[in-house]
Amino acid sequence: MIQVTGLTKRYGNKRGVEDITFHVDQGEIVGLLGPNGAGKSTIMKMLTGCHMMTSGRIVINGCDMLEDPDQALRHIGFMPELPPLYLEMEVEEYLLFAAAIKGVPKGERKAHVEGFLGLTGVGDVRGRPIGNLSKGYRQRVGLAQALVGDPKILILDEPTAGLDPRQITEVRDLLKRLSRDHTIMVSSHILAEIGQTCDRVVIISNGRLVAEDTMENLSRGQEEGNLFRLKAACNREELSAALGDIPAIEKIEGCGTDGDRRWFEITAPDTDEVRQAVSAALARHQIPLLELNSGRLSLEQVFLRLTDARAGEGAAL
Amino acid sequence: MSIIIKKEVSSFFSTPFGYVFLGIFLLLSGMMFTIYNLLGGNGALSGMFDLLKNVSFIIFPVLTMRMFAEERRNGTEQLLMTSRLRCVDIVLGKFLAAGVLFGYALAATLVYVVIIAAHGSPNYGALAASYLGFALLGVSMIAVCTFISSFAENQVTAAISAFGILFLMVMLASFTRSLTIPVLSPILSALAITTRYDEFTRGVLRPGPVAYYLGVTAVCLVMAVKNLEYRRFR
Repeated sequence: MIQVTGLTKRYGNKRGVEDITFHVDQGEIVGLLGPNGAGKSTIMKMLTGCHMMTSGRIVINGCDMLEDPDQALRHIGFMPELPPLYLEMEVEEYLLFAAAIKGVPKGERKAHVEGFLGLTGVGDVRGRPIGNLSKGYRQRVGLAQALVGDPKILILDEPTAGLDPRQITEVRDLLKRLSRDHTIMVSSHILAEIGQTCDRVVIISNGRLVAEDTMENLSRGQEEGNLFRLKAACNREELSAALGDIPAIEKIEGCGTDGDRRWFEITAPDTDEVRQAVSAALARHQIPLLELNSGRLSLEQVFLRLTDARAGEGAAL
Repeated sequence: MSIIIKKEVSSFFSTPFGYVFLGIFLLLSGMMFTIYNLLGGNGALSGMFDLLKNVSFIIFPVLTMRMFAEERRNGTEQLLMTSRLRCVDIVLGKFLAAGVLFGYALAATLVYVVIIAAHGSPNYGALAASYLGFALLGVSMIAVCTFISSFAENQVTAAISAFGILFLMVMLASFTRSLTIPVLSPILSALAITTRYDEFTRGVLRPGPVAYYLGVTAVCLVMAVKNLEYRRFR
């Protein structure tokens, strides 16, 4: 549905984003992830025709953004980071206006908007001026606006910014419902949100693409070889003695203390068999096992590792 | 385009903005009508329009200052720019909406004509020429302000820039009368926006001044559309 190739945006001599290539398939929810200032909003603005690219190509549902921008934009519903709201308008009036400028025929506008009022949960405030609504409601009105016109693709820039945890959960559930018949690209710097909502992530750092994959593959790609961590109430010698008869273990290293409990890094194949052998050995030696973690990195750790590496490259340049 | 006109006119009256504009316009015109016509016993409205002409560089920037700046501040420019609307629809819609508000203000002054007609015998030809002249002057000034406003990121910049440019254009009318520099004089004279208006107040209606004001309006609107198109694909 979205094919981006070699996308570059420069502001004079200053680099916005450089040589970004990724794709979003039909029905996917893809997260655009990156630290503040990485270039997420710039990419989204180019995808939605708000900004002109310096070079590269964007194809939306088969329509080239440069050759046929009108046709390409028909497939897109966009909610910028600051929802584009007329604060003096009432909610329903605003959505009817959005329907009119998006080309929904006059006779169908009322029924068209009615569906999105219900879907986004703003039906109960339809007659209230947007300026009087809370941040959460305004965000939902912005989302309803993006849905108006039945676009196949939704591009949402930080849709949960400034919302409370309950509202974040509601928006997340709404995105999952919408993904049944929409292709969604959502940007955020909140990793938990991306992790729970998206099928794949595109990670941007310092204006460049650093990774594009599923979360599982990214974690696997970054995992620290055959490594797992355990926390036990013993010292290193006692642990070495207890685990000495497990041949798969190559190395045991202490990596921190927590009172009389200690963290150890164990280099061995991270398999269920090894874990069972380790826990059984510790039980035999009456050493309390407190935690046993995989060496696989969390999304936060993957993100920090990838973006730190890119920031380091940028600094070196 | 009609949806933009409707939205803009409705926004004028859903905020204090439209009422403040109409209030100031009618206060100024009412004061001049009282002084020139009621107390002075004059049957022509040229005095009132003369004053409005001289304060027009304040009135019209106020009318147009939020035209694009407000959209940029609220982020709604992106909504318009990514919709099916063309830049020409957006510019013309906003220009015509400002024209509608100006039309309301001008129509409200017709009550002065009724008062004059009730107490005397006005020269309807001269009155009609005065109205037409001021309407053309106002429309062309709104177009100049629309163009300047299309660059502005905030309302204050929009108002001050438009005020400065219009002030210069109004003041040029005084300078150009005494200037006889070969190339510069015709250029400055073309920019002196109120020079041709004086003919209307004398009751003279020639195609030249009408074409001048329509020309200024068209040029400014085309430039505003081009500016918006440039911004859209920047």
